[in-house]
Amino acid sequence: MDIIKINDNISLRYIRMDKLKTTSIAVFIHRPLKKDEASYNALLPLVLKSGTELCPDRAAVARYLDNLYGATMGATTIKCGEDHVIYFDAETISDRYAPEGEPLTADLLKLLMSALFAPKTENGAFDEKTVELEKKNAIDKIAAFMNDKRQYAADRCRQETARGTDFAISRLGDADIIKNITSRSLYDYYRRIMTSSVIDIYICGDTDIKAAEAAVKEYTDGLSFTAADIPKTEIITRKYGELHEVTEEMDVAQGKLAIGFITNVKPTDADYPALIVMNSVFGAGAHSKLFNNVREKLSLAYYAGSQLERYKGMIIVNAGIEFKNFQKAYDETLVQLEEIKKGNISEHEFTSSIVAIVNNYRSFLDDQRALATTSLMNRVAGRDKTIDEMIESIEKVTPEDVTAVANKLQLDTSYFLTGKGAE
Amino acid sequence: MELDFRKSEKTGEEMYSGTHSSGLKIYIVPKPEYSGSYAIFGTNYGSVESDFVVPGESEVTHVPDGIAHYLEHKMFDQPDGSNVFDKFAKYGGSANAFTSFNVTAYLFSATSNFEENLATLLDYVQSPYYTDETVQKEQGIIGQEIRMYDDNPGWQLFFNYIGCLYNSHPVKKEIAGTVESISHITPEYLYKCYTTFYNLSNMALVIVGNVDVDSAMKVIEEGIKKNEPFTEPIGRVHPDEAEHIAKQRSEKKMAVAAPMFMLGWKDNDVNKSGAELLKKNLEITILLKMLFGKGSKIYKKLYDAGLINNTFSTDYTMQPDYGFTSLDGESNDPEQVFEAILDAVDKVKEKGLSEDEFELAKKVAWGKYIRSHNDIENYAVTFLQLQFMGIDYFDYYDVYKTVAFEDVKRRFDEHFRRENAALSVIRPL
Repeated sequence: MDIIKINDNISLRYIRMDKLKTTSIAVFIHRPLKKDEASYNALLPLVLKSGTELCPDRAAVARYLDNLYGATMGATTIKCGEDHVIYFDAETISDRYAPEGEPLTADLLKLLMSALFAPKTENGAFDEKTVELEKKNAIDKIAAFMNDKRQYAADRCRQETARGTDFAISRLGDADIIKNITSRSLYDYYRRIMTSSVIDIYICGDTDIKAAEAAVKEYTDGLSFTAADIPKTEIITRKYGELHEVTEEMDVAQGKLAIGFITNVKPTDADYPALIVMNSVFGAGAHSKLFNNVREKLSLAYYAGSQLERYKGMIIVNAGIEFKNFQKAYDETLVQLEEIKKGNISEHEFTSSIVAIVNNYRSFLDDQRALATTSLMNRVAGRDKTIDEMIESIEKVTPEDVTAVANKLQLDTSYFLTGKGAE
Repeated sequence: MELDFRKSEKTGEEMYSGTHSSGLKIYIVPKPEYSGSYAIFGTNYGSVESDFVVPGESEVTHVPDGIAHYLEHKMFDQPDGSNVFDKFAKYGGSANAFTSFNVTAYLFSATSNFEENLATLLDYVQSPYYTDETVQKEQGIIGQEIRMYDDNPGWQLFFNYIGCLYNSHPVKKEIAGTVESISHITPEYLYKCYTTFYNLSNMALVIVGNVDVDSAMKVIEEGIKKNEPFTEPIGRVHPDEAEHIAKQRSEKKMAVAAPMFMLGWKDNDVNKSGAELLKKNLEITILLKMLFGKGSKIYKKLYDAGLINNTFSTDYTMQPDYGFTSLDGESNDPEQVFEAILDAVDKVKEKGLSEDEFELAKKVAWGKYIRSHNDIENYAVTFLQLQFMGIDYFDYYDVYKTVAFEDVKRRFDEHFRRENAALSVIRPL
């Protein structure tokens, strides 16, 4: 990866790769996850991609992209711990596939820079109509969060486990706060953060990086920046206490069980790779204890698995079950964790976990988006490693390491999404 | 066996292909610069086949709904009691399977030991083993899979929509069946379906990624078990489907935040395959972009009026014997969206389509094709599914270049008829 420093805050990172037929550009703007700001962060990318000096409205943006053989430009936010990242993601077929020799990547970068640094404005504010429409989109998105029950339950459990910390704040923002945002307050916020946040621009594919650098500078040279840092996240530490129990009712046919554990391991700790392997043994795939016991042995669920939230130090288990099987599935989950803690890990479970993780890391090398986001996430975690280094660290893990790290796990939260009036 | 070799000038892609004496069709796309490799072994058999005539028999066999999907789950049990996932895991392969309306497929991705993984794939899919006990065990797991879909509003919206379009075509049935239908599944039914639809002449193998063609072929030749290819087609018994739609509206209440809608048109220009079907697909895809894409007048009008939000999307689903367009999203007033879209289509009928917009939408289709080569998994799955429709995705350009504005105009008149349009809605409780 070539890193070109545009200024103290902005860097251009080029991952050269010509085996794919596309070139992708990702922009990450790092903001601290805070209650008021989160709503502005959620709304801002929707407005920025809806009108720029280059393409004044959504239809013009769409036609511009269509003309680049259906190039894409999306904008959203992601949560890397308590770093609320505004994420623009654009992709085009590479110039060598342009039937008429068009400079597709340069044209796409131009649109993206225009969206970021030259949005459509009127009298020192964003276009009011656009802001109102996108407020509706942002609020609809918050409401729609409940539609996917599986994700909803896992996310609610994550929130409950991280209770009392900023991590519990939704990346989608808060509907009441969004309602009160105006085209001017959003523009003021935009002006402030664009010159006082770390901004990473990744280009992955095949392009003239010198020309790309010039294109970025064209938009940023006139601005003055205040130096910024990437927001940092502390893992949860909590004294062993009573189980935090949450039950929610909804009109559903299937119950969703989620269990939150605190890992007490930071992504920069020496035993972090062992934690990744431990999570895989526990519940990340068809080789895992949860899959083979909760699903295959007891036939309680179609899916039963675990996910690691690295920044905040949590593991969240989730499974879709009959309401009446809550206790059975809950107990079996704890039994399986106990097995790992006792060192009862089969060779198959262990090697399959290593192999699955390594396989997954290697597959990132064929995926431009995965390369950019992996690099970003490592950066945020303060663990700047290449894919090869990540693989190496996993291959060094032993079953004893897994057992040791499992013993740091602390049961914290039990979450159950159940039916209305279900027993 | 000898393989044919092709190289595309437009994309730079290479492909080896051929038909084995067992009847199995084989396609290999080597990409030596990739880290990963992917193989998919599939049968042209999915949820729509509940009634069929086995080649050589005269009676129709009737089996319970959801059996293709059930069989897919049960393929992972092996005669020697071994676990298929264990074998893949040993070689670093990540295995999976899926069942759709017309295809059941078994697949793996790997970044090492490709040959060993491929041998495992070929072996287990050719080793059926069903007992009362193992079949019984799956009822609970699939029962929970069905429950999961019961709570999935997007899935319910989709099946209610197809239920509006089709009177009797089995595409309207749930892929996994119902808790009731799967309770009738027995080992005997599973073996009957297996010996019919998993005959290698009804199957194909697609391999994409970092593979050596010669060593892959050696594994394939050794891995293919004895198989007598069918000399006549499997009788797929589907009731005759009338042209009219079953009903115009469907509505259901679920735990969702805002009303969700899916609307679109039933395709009656069916019973096509191969290049003809691909051409129809291109025409309709181009039309969806021209009429309802983010740059279109209709989209802008609905969006600016707050009637749709950025969840709105369009799609075309096709098989040789059925097809439909679908437009879906969230709206506080789905009825108004439906009416506005039908009216807007009528207006286009009066004023005509724009040739400039046609050229722009056609460009987008080309970009999408180029991009589809990036992801080895998506490419292999797309290739397999199209292969079962008689479409050669490698030769896409040959069909693409023939799509003219006149074709699209004709297709517009043929497809977007008010009487073939339906609306499915999921409303909050």
